[in-house]
Amino acid sequence: MQQLLELVTEAKASGDYQPLVELIPYARILGVQCECYGEEIIFRLPAKADNIGNPTVPAIHGGVIASFMELTALFQLTLQLPQPGLAKIIDFSLDYMRAGLDRDTFAVCHISRQGRRVGNCSVLAWQERKSRPIAQARAHFLLDRGN
Amino acid sequence: MTPEQYRARCVRFLNAQPHMCRLGIRLIRAEKSKATLVLPVQPQLISTVLDTYLHGGVLTTLVDAASSVSTLCALDRFELCPTLDLRIDHMRTPVQSQPLYVAAECYRVTRSVLFTRASVYQDDPAHPVAYAIATFMRPEGGATESAFSTLIEGEPDAATA
Repeated sequence: MQQLLELVTEAKASGDYQPLVELIPYARILGVQCECYGEEIIFRLPAKADNIGNPTVPAIHGGVIASFMELTALFQLTLQLPQPGLAKIIDFSLDYMRAGLDRDTFAVCHISRQGRRVGNCSVLAWQERKSRPIAQARAHFLLDRGN
Repeated sequence: MTPEQYRARCVRFLNAQPHMCRLGIRLIRAEKSKATLVLPVQPQLISTVLDTYLHGGVLTTLVDAASSVSTLCALDRFELCPTLDLRIDHMRTPVQSQPLYVAAECYRVTRSVLFTRASVYQDDPAHPVAYAIATFMRPEGGATESAFSTLIEGEPDAATA
């Protein structure tokens, strides 16, 4: 899909990643945002009433945190290596470490290995301090080679 | 507990969560240690730009929810059990045009930890799109008297009456 490559190029040129993020309907529903600092890309999930799982704490739904981290890995892969289509997830493994409170959540993805067909990703999510992560995840994606 | 009681507890649990309401995730069936949920087809999840498969993350949310609901069907009293670990294997790509079902089972209950497994499918349970396993921590001292428990089970007095 040529459009994806064009969107990536445009996003990098303009610094506005929202059109790319909003390609995925669920990323739009969650309210995922993306900010670039030099070569590091930080993904942000702003606090949002609709993302709450436990209304009495209140805490973000665990599935929302997981999905946010999965999307972080997907977007990082898309931005870091040009692919004609979105990579497909093969597996996803998540450790929850702390409750995600009703505040902004951040995530970064490190691509630990990128082969010809598979990308190995690790994702870290935190709220007030990166050194106190709320969750960490590992995922494998099948890269899109345009066939 | 009867299947109706499990069902009522699970429905209250889902309805108490804003994000479950946002996605319209519903309970199909509840029985001892097992629960089936559905994510209906909905315009807000349809991508017109990309291909026809269901994109990004929402399956993960559904699996997390179903695994959690299955634990409610394995315990005599409601306990708020945080997820410790969740692992999902994706075997095929789900299509946008069909609902996504997930059948989850809490297959082992210990004093501290609950173990679940779940299978995600669309047209045929025999051809799953994904499998998942998860673990949950039980609160110390058994059932919690938290505000959330009250929301799901009612006031302690009402529950025992």
